[in-house]
Amino acid sequence: MSELSANRNLKVRISKFTKEYAIVIAILALMIIFTLTSEYFLTYRNIRNILMQTVSLAIVCIGQSLIVTTGEFDLSLGQNVCLSSAVMAWLIKYGGFNPWIAILCAIAVGALIGLTNGVLIAYAGIPCFIVTLVFQMVARGGAKIITNATPIPGMPEQIKFLGRGFIGGMEYGVPISVLIMLALFVVFSFITQRTKYGRSLYAIGGNKEAAYFAGINVKNTRAINYTIAGTLCGISAVLLVIRLDSAAITNGNLYEFDAMISCILGGISLAGGRGKIVQALFGAIFLMLFFNGMTMLNVNPFVQDVLKGIVMIGAVALDVVRNKRR
Amino acid sequence: MADYILEMRGITKVFPGVRALDDVSINVERGTVHALVGENGAGKSTLIKVLAGIYHPEEGEVYLDGVKTVFRTPNDSQHKGISVVHQEFKMSETLSVAENVFLGNLMYKGRVVDWKGMRVCADKMLRDLGVPMDVDVAVETLSVAQKQMVEICKAINRNCKVLIMDEPSATLTEKEQMLMFDTVRKLKASGVTVIYISHRMEEIFDLCDNVSVLRDGQHIATVPVASVTRDELVSLMVGRTVTNEYPRSSVQPGEVILEGRNITRKGVLHDISFQLRKGEVLGIAGLVGAGRTELARAILGIDKIDSGELLLHGKPVKMDSFRKAIANGLSLVPEDRKTQGLVQIATVSRNINMVNMDAAAHGFVMDDAKERKISAEYVQKLDISTPSVDTEAQYLSGGNQQKVVIAKWLLEDSEIVILDEPTRGIDVGAKSEIHNLIVSLVEQGKSVLMISSELPEVIGMSDRILVIHEGHLVGELHRGEASQKRIMSLCV
Repeated sequence: MSELSANRNLKVRISKFTKEYAIVIAILALMIIFTLTSEYFLTYRNIRNILMQTVSLAIVCIGQSLIVTTGEFDLSLGQNVCLSSAVMAWLIKYGGFNPWIAILCAIAVGALIGLTNGVLIAYAGIPCFIVTLVFQMVARGGAKIITNATPIPGMPEQIKFLGRGFIGGMEYGVPISVLIMLALFVVFSFITQRTKYGRSLYAIGGNKEAAYFAGINVKNTRAINYTIAGTLCGISAVLLVIRLDSAAITNGNLYEFDAMISCILGGISLAGGRGKIVQALFGAIFLMLFFNGMTMLNVNPFVQDVLKGIVMIGAVALDVVRNKRR
Repeated sequence: MADYILEMRGITKVFPGVRALDDVSINVERGTVHALVGENGAGKSTLIKVLAGIYHPEEGEVYLDGVKTVFRTPNDSQHKGISVVHQEFKMSETLSVAENVFLGNLMYKGRVVDWKGMRVCADKMLRDLGVPMDVDVAVETLSVAQKQMVEICKAINRNCKVLIMDEPSATLTEKEQMLMFDTVRKLKASGVTVIYISHRMEEIFDLCDNVSVLRDGQHIATVPVASVTRDELVSLMVGRTVTNEYPRSSVQPGEVILEGRNITRKGVLHDISFQLRKGEVLGIAGLVGAGRTELARAILGIDKIDSGELLLHGKPVKMDSFRKAIANGLSLVPEDRKTQGLVQIATVSRNINMVNMDAAAHGFVMDDAKERKISAEYVQKLDISTPSVDTEAQYLSGGNQQKVVIAKWLLEDSEIVILDEPTRGIDVGAKSEIHNLIVSLVEQGKSVLMISSELPEVIGMSDRILVIHEGHLVGELHRGEASQKRIMSLCV
């Protein structure tokens, strides 16, 4: 009997896994397709490159998925990354700051934008759409002012290992930035799945009013959430500037949407209250793989934008269908 | 042979894991008000949905006016003469009364919409029903009772032969109910057959001609109302004899725990003073909108008080937030279970642990196993019927959902429990379990403040009753001196 129930348990587990992580299967499918069509695809270097390119977006995804879990979204994340990276590069190149101080300042700028978003949304009660759209514009403007719309290139050697360094040598080493990203995912998975704060997030996403009537501090939790998302934008910006070796006004462009697509692709419900942030990581990897493969197959980059839109619509439609079926 | 407008024969509807309807055959006589009763989950809503064309039964046939009929879609069903007035109204709030009455069924004069004709027509229909109102105002400005009348108008506007009303009285005040009853009687007189679903025994005996009882998806009996007693009907529904409907605690109320002095909130509450004692059930009666919920919200710090003070254990406290009230040992089982009481998509376990997360936490970290163990204890203690503690709350029946809401406050171990309409929309069996829970609360030395629109419940459960009318405290009745008549006379 125990064997039978164990067998059944395994089945249930597999079906639950495939439901929650359909995206993993999609990633594997993509990989098989690209492996068959391009001989360069399945090389350690290429896969490592894709992961390194995913890092900055994936870190923004953590923030976006925290917010999506509460049933809201943040449109300012991408330009927050842009402004934070501009601040960092400017402080190093023109301000003569110690690079480490500049990094802290960049993260602080990200956090500050997040905090302002959070306070306006949670305490002043302005819809997240309006507030974060405004800060998208404000941050974009700020970044243009700082950079004068021209890239600030050349980051100092002493911080380069963060975004371009490897543990175990150039050839077959593990990228430090990817490790930082994974560490952040581990930390935030723990926070969302195992802490009181995480429980509050899901409760708020499930039903704000009921969460309030259960004595959860809804306003504080939401404000903190936006602040965390902003802080993560700062971290993302630092790694992005170092990897690209430049702060340009294209840094982080459209990350808020890519992060949202990643969340949906991963299976995090836009309605809130469901999903795990690691699903967003897989969503981001899928997205990056998809475009890496397209580029490798010489698909016109303008066509790629169109495809991105189609992928997003498809993912949202899937989300709607999934919610209906429940 | 009787003249049946609607005959259901051997209807079976199966959902994964449940036989929601099992070989149900019910005949409805033409021109009668036919009550459909049963506990939550008995199959009433499924049956309605079959008639409304939302569900399609696996087996069975429906004869409408002697003709075998299949209802494909809600539209199809309406077309054939069956209209449903749902509990949640389906109207465009920003459109006018007349527009809503004719929604999806506009009148035309040539090729243009005949607004004037529709307004005149809607006006006449409402007058005929005995509820004249301005047909040009937006529906959102109407009271619940008025909206219901508009729904009824909308329903009968489509050549309606059978009107199904799903718990129409649940959100009405006593007075509005009387009006609604009149309307139903007028409909009956005009030849419409009404299928009336309700949890309230009084209404069935007041209003209905025949009654069909469903239990666990099966048709138990259909009888003329005149031939059964209330107790017989209840035992048919529950499947066992329910004797003492309102349990009483043996505790004598002790010292004053919570006292309100001259509590005022401009335009809502005027100069209300009250005392709540240890081990006491204090009922709050009054019409919907009289300020009962508002009083609870003021006490709990959800709404601000303009003047007056609140004393807890004789010491003044300032409740500036609901969280502070919780910290001071107060709790609230809110009015609306679905939107305020529960996070529907969260599991039973998460809901139970939502208030007192510390019970299953080490510092900031939640202990999943402990959380589920605690929940399992409460599921057992309150006899909550759920497949597991990991089931999402939305899949539970109303009564069990309410027990989950109560469980989370039991876990918090609040000293003062405020219940706002604790048994609204809950079936007879679960209702008496909740009443027993209230008694066990006061027997543990807790104090209960209970708001209820059901006068028999307030009278049956309370040690004392505060009657509130238009924000004023208009009476305080002790156990023994309270009667429905007395309370109602204070409310007008």
